[in-house]
Amino acid sequence: GGDGGSPVPAAPGRAQVFTTVVDTFLEKLVAAGSYQRFANCYRCFYKLQPEMTRSIYDQFISQLQASIKEEIQEVKDEGNLEVLFNSLDKIVEEAKDQEEPAWRPSGIPEEDVRSAMVPYLLKHRSYLRKVLKEKEEENRKVAESVLAGRDRIAELQQLIEARKHAWQ
Amino acid sequence: MSVNPMAYEAQFFGFTPQTCMLRVYIAFQDYLFEMMLVVESVILKKLDGFPDCKISPFQIRKSTEKFLLFMKEHFDKLFSKMEEVLLQLVLNIPKNVLLPEDKVHEEYPYSKEQFQALQDEIHQLQQQYRAEASAGQALRAELEEQKAVRAELEKILQWFDGLDNICREHGTGNFKESFAFLTQNSKKLQDVLKDIEEKSKKIKKHDQLV
Repeated sequence: GGDGGSPVPAAPGRAQVFTTVVDTFLEKLVAAGSYQRFANCYRCFYKLQPEMTRSIYDQFISQLQASIKEEIQEVKDEGNLEVLFNSLDKIVEEAKDQEEPAWRPSGIPEEDVRSAMVPYLLKHRSYLRKVLKEKEEENRKVAESVLAGRDRIAELQQLIEARKHAWQ
Repeated sequence: MSVNPMAYEAQFFGFTPQTCMLRVYIAFQDYLFEMMLVVESVILKKLDGFPDCKISPFQIRKSTEKFLLFMKEHFDKLFSKMEEVLLQLVLNIPKNVLLPEDKVHEEYPYSKEQFQALQDEIHQLQQQYRAEASAGQALRAELEEQKAVRAELEKILQWFDGLDNICREHGTGNFKESFAFLTQNSKKLQDVLKDIEEKSKKIKKHDQLV
C-alpha cells in the first residue's frame, strides 16, 4: 500500500518546468550556433588561426550561456519566482476538483468590493444583535426594580397614612 | 486574435507575464549582440598581430553579420517556443483556480440587493440599540428618584416610630389614646359650642319677635 504521506504531484512543478524550458532553449541555441557554423562564417580567420578560432568560439559560447543564466536567476530572485511557483502549484492542486470557472475581478471596483465587505458587515451585525439582546435583558431587570420600587413607595405611603389616622 | 491581458496573473505575480518575457527577450538579445561585438573586436585585435595577412576588417565585419543573422533567426524561433510554453504552463493561472486572497468572492457572492438588505438590517439594529439605551437611562433615572422619595418617606415613618418610643419611655402608653381622645373631645366641644351659639342666636331672635 501507500506510505500515507502527502501525494506526489503527477506533473513537474512550475519551478521545474521553468528551469527545464530555459535549459532546453540554451541547449538548442548553442547547438544551432555550432563551432562548424562559426568557423564557416569566419572562414578566412579560421584558415589563418584555427586554434584561436576554437578558443574564441568557446569563450563566446560559455560567456553567452553564463550571461543568459545570470539574467534568468536575476528575474527569479527579483520576482521571488521560486516561492510563487510553488505556492501557485499548491493553489492549483487544491482547486483540481473545481470544474466551474472561478471568479475573476469584474473590473468594476464598486461591485468587487461588496463581497470583500460582507464578512465585516456580518460580524458587525452579529455584534449588534448580541449587545442589543444584552441591553434588552439589562433593561428588563431594571424595569422590574422600578416596578418593585413603586410598590414599595405605595406601601410606605399607606403605612404613613395608617400612622396619621392612629394619631387622629 | 484577442490579446489576453493576463491581469489575474499579474495580480498574483506582481508583474504581467508578457512584460516579463519581453524583458528577458531584450536582455538575451543584448547579450548576444554584445558577445558578437566582443568576438569581432578580439579577432580584429589578433589580426593586428599578423600585419601581412590579407584579411580586411570589412571581411571580418561581414563574417560577424553572417553569423549574427543566423544566430538571431534561431534565437527568435527558440525564444518564441519558450515563451509560449512559459505563458501557458508556468506563468498562468488556470480558469478554474481562485486565488486565496479572493476567497471572499466565492464565499459571499452578495448581489446589490442582498448587500443593501444587510446594510439596512444593520442600520435598524443600531436604531433599536439606541432606543434601548435611552430607555435604560430613563429607567435608571426613575430608580434614582425612587431612592430619594423612599428615603423621605422612611424618614417620616421613623419620626412616627420615634413618637411611639417617647410615649412608651415615659410610661404614658395611653398618650396616643388620650391625645386622640383629646383631639376628639376638643372637636366635640367645638361642635357643642357651635350648637349652643346657634341655639342662642335662635332664642335671641325668638325673643325679639315676641
